[in-house]
Amino acid sequence: MNHPIDPQILGEAADWLVQLQSGAATEEDHRAVALWRGRSAQHAQAWQRAEAIIGDFRAVPGSIASDTIKRIGRNKSIGRRQALNRIGLFLLAGPAIWLAQRELPWQEWMADQHTAIGEQKNLTLPDGTQMLINTGSSLNIAFNANERRIKLLTGEVLITTAKDPSPTYRPFIVQTRHGTARALGTRFSVRVEDQMSRLAVVEGAVEMRPVGGGQAVIVKAGEQSAFGSVSAYPVQPLDMASMTWENGMMVATNMRLADLLTELGRYRPGVLRCHDSVADLRVSGAFSLRDTDASLRLLQQTMPINVTSLTRYWVAVEPRG
Amino acid sequence: MSSIDRSLNLHVQNLYCEHHGWLQRWLDRKLGNRCDAADLAHDTFIRLLTRQSPANLGAEPRALLTHIAKGLVIDRWRRQDVERAYLETIAHLPEPEVPSPETRWLILEALYRIDAMLREMPEKTRQAFLMSQIDGMTYAQIASELNVSLITIKRYMRDAFLACLSVA
Repeated sequence: MNHPIDPQILGEAADWLVQLQSGAATEEDHRAVALWRGRSAQHAQAWQRAEAIIGDFRAVPGSIASDTIKRIGRNKSIGRRQALNRIGLFLLAGPAIWLAQRELPWQEWMADQHTAIGEQKNLTLPDGTQMLINTGSSLNIAFNANERRIKLLTGEVLITTAKDPSPTYRPFIVQTRHGTARALGTRFSVRVEDQMSRLAVVEGAVEMRPVGGGQAVIVKAGEQSAFGSVSAYPVQPLDMASMTWENGMMVATNMRLADLLTELGRYRPGVLRCHDSVADLRVSGAFSLRDTDASLRLLQQTMPINVTSLTRYWVAVEPRG
Repeated sequence: MSSIDRSLNLHVQNLYCEHHGWLQRWLDRKLGNRCDAADLAHDTFIRLLTRQSPANLGAEPRALLTHIAKGLVIDRWRRQDVERAYLETIAHLPEPEVPSPETRWLILEALYRIDAMLREMPEKTRQAFLMSQIDGMTYAQIASELNVSLITIKRYMRDAFLACLSVA
């Protein structure tokens, strides 16, 4: 995920870090660093890394850091059996979301940008920011002299911010009905659901702020979280599985068939029903989100199910036989 | 949808059908743990799909898959080492100093990145760097402790920061 940075620039960043930590740093030095990091996107990125390094050391209490570092690498022979305690981001949107999207036709069409069910659209914004809009999304783009704001009404976007050519600093903000996510130089996605907006950060950091005035929380690279209207949810490690839609695929491991179909249903128009008696069957596989018909065919080939379609828009998944 | 997208999607779909079972058995043999093997096989395909250029899958898909999987196994073992070291450390701490469950993950992530940064550093550099970053000693204090010149300490610190910046 990391873009290579010119080693020369990294060397200069290291020089500045040494100087700032020498105990002899002046106000002048701090101003000079601020200028230095504004010289190019790579300079800014290098300094972001520098701050992340300092941040990592500050994040660990002194009483823990030293002992833990000494202990790392001992006792290697102990069986490596600890299961990863990860929490999946594939929390699946229920049918209520599907309905909610349909109950907002007026807002959808007022939006500047709109993707149909199953459509993904790549957009370059006036500042150079890349925006990939996922299936069934609608949003307004509101850029002015003071800020760059995306109002996400429905669906999901993946944003890769560019360095703003504007001479004055303009924050980049994604607003949902639950609150705002303010980019701090970054690549991140926001997905609106009924009760919350989900945020996943691949690079940089994003500050999320619930609309109801709850505490702002910073989500960093490699983390994900969510916010409802009044509060933010705890930050968790990023599940990269939630980012594969960028390439039009999803990977299921031991997933409930009903949950898989709900996810596929986000990418196709009409109704995709799952019979109760097969809902709990477990599925593993890589499935195309861009060609959901192919995904359904694959399911039919590998599972004891029949996929019957009355029309392209009414598909039922039932037990075979 | 472009035809390139479509063929890539089908390619990954086929790749999964043809090699996922094999990869999982391969991992199971390496690790002797079916759960870990299933997890890591899953993560391998996720990694494949979230690479910068997923289209370039190469002519030897199994070689690529095991290459990715090995990296993930090593990554996981390092994380387990860090977590074990952390748990041993807090077991010795008085109750009030034990971090809350909410901050635990943040601390572990930071420790994991710190471990990655320190891994490639020469011993002297690493020692000086830790004295500065963790013990909060000044360059002059470190210089006198290690019995070297202030210039040398600054060089260690620069090397250390450069190593950190190159890992990040």
